[in-house]
Amino acid sequence: MIKLQVEDLDVFYGPFQAIKNASLDVPQNRVTALIGPSGCGKSTFIRALNRMHDLQPDVKVDGRVILDGEDIYAPGVDPVAIRHRIGMVFQRPNPFPKSIFENVVYGLRIHGENRRSTLMEIAERSLRHAALWDEVKDRLEKSALVLSGGQQQRLCIARCLAVDPDVLLMDEPASALDPIATSKIEDLISELQKDYTVVIVTHSMQQAARISDFTAFFLMGELIEHAPTRTIFTNPRDKRTEDYITGRYG
Amino acid sequence: MLLWTAAIGVLVLLAFFIGYIVYLGAGAISWHFLTAPPNEAKAGGGIGPEIYNSFYILILTLVFTTPIALAGGIFLQEYARPGPFTTAVQFCAESLSTIPSIVLGLFGMILFVNVLGWKFTALGGALTLTILNLPALMRMTQEALTVVPESYREASMALGATKWQTIRRVVLPSAIASLTTGIVLISGRILGETAALIFTAGTSVSVGRSAYDLSPFHTAETLSVHLWYTHSESLIPDAAKVGNGSALVLLAMVLIFNLSARFIGRALSKRFTAA
Repeated sequence: MIKLQVEDLDVFYGPFQAIKNASLDVPQNRVTALIGPSGCGKSTFIRALNRMHDLQPDVKVDGRVILDGEDIYAPGVDPVAIRHRIGMVFQRPNPFPKSIFENVVYGLRIHGENRRSTLMEIAERSLRHAALWDEVKDRLEKSALVLSGGQQQRLCIARCLAVDPDVLLMDEPASALDPIATSKIEDLISELQKDYTVVIVTHSMQQAARISDFTAFFLMGELIEHAPTRTIFTNPRDKRTEDYITGRYG
Repeated sequence: MLLWTAAIGVLVLLAFFIGYIVYLGAGAISWHFLTAPPNEAKAGGGIGPEIYNSFYILILTLVFTTPIALAGGIFLQEYARPGPFTTAVQFCAESLSTIPSIVLGLFGMILFVNVLGWKFTALGGALTLTILNLPALMRMTQEALTVVPESYREASMALGATKWQTIRRVVLPSAIASLTTGIVLISGRILGETAALIFTAGTSVSVGRSAYDLSPFHTAETLSVHLWYTHSESLIPDAAKVGNGSALVLLAMVLIFNLSARFIGRALSKRFTAA
């Protein structure tokens, strides 16, 4: 079943076209990886999926992104409501300078939930889900900034899970982390696809091969090829995809 | 090496100033001096009402300045898109901040004292100081907000927060320490401001009513104005002694205010950020 349908997406930074007419189907409860060399537009693409480009004044987005049958760029759609349903984890861990607990429940508080028992229950569930509970359960009131980079990133994932989104977008979530922290995040992603639809940008082909079910290859703003990950890595249709995964450029 | 010398030079100069003021002023300080009303003709007057007026005008000015400056700074930094309007507002604010305080004092006199007919009042003085300090505090608010990492805003928006929720729950709490510092710096300037107040709040304490008048329409000579007044205009025989004492008290007031505000700022920051 298709969760998210991208149709004819163009993204412009001023006069520069960063994404050219990209279309992609994202299946539900699967991990879709976006790969490609630096500057190919994969981060630009993923940020269009929850309207993060709205925050920059000189970025223009054309095309349709259809979530459960509804175009999130249609007039009258509230981007705030969309971001509630499509969560995002960023390249660098970006916890708020608040306590671990307040970080996890931030999304709940802004939606008006203030009952301590509910917050506590959801915080524990989200932290467990993000495989962080055992490491922080005794120090929930401590600042999130004292955690290691890998723990901070899992905290950011827990923070996303707490608002119970349908789709999780991850923009190179492990690129700022060491190998051990990276493998924890990868295990977590495989775990998360049972409950969520995941789209992940990665510059590591090995990572895409390890964790994703589908892979889309971007080059210079174009979506070149999109197929099951196994197919992309063993039998790519396009010459450029083959050149990239065999390491001829990128 | 050169920098070290310069730094030490500044410290020595500061220590010398403070030492000299303490040396001259210490003899004048007594409970009577700190609490008694000033005397226009005879020796032995105090500065009680002046201390009261200094804080009265300080608080009144902050009540006017802080909300407007915060709102303006937040608007310019977080909401306004770059364009002719934003540039014009910035330019006006910067021009306003370069006007000498004496000029604003005369403006305040024309507007509040003469045109509105309030005579010399604490309110007129506070409003004049508001105009004087508004641009600086607005600027400092903008600076404080610039320092807050963009990634905090992104994280908050990505969780489905509105812009205002993001500002209120993430941006402002992260900036609270620098905002407090800004308000403290402004307060130091307000406590020490003289020229703008001579023409607007007057050079005498409440005439014909209680010297500790609660009404904003009372004549309100502050400590710094009193310091200027005793040294230049006063008829009292112990003017030098009163002036030196006033200088020391003013210095102590600014110092105590700064230290306590810094302490409060740090406590607030800790509370909001769990750092």
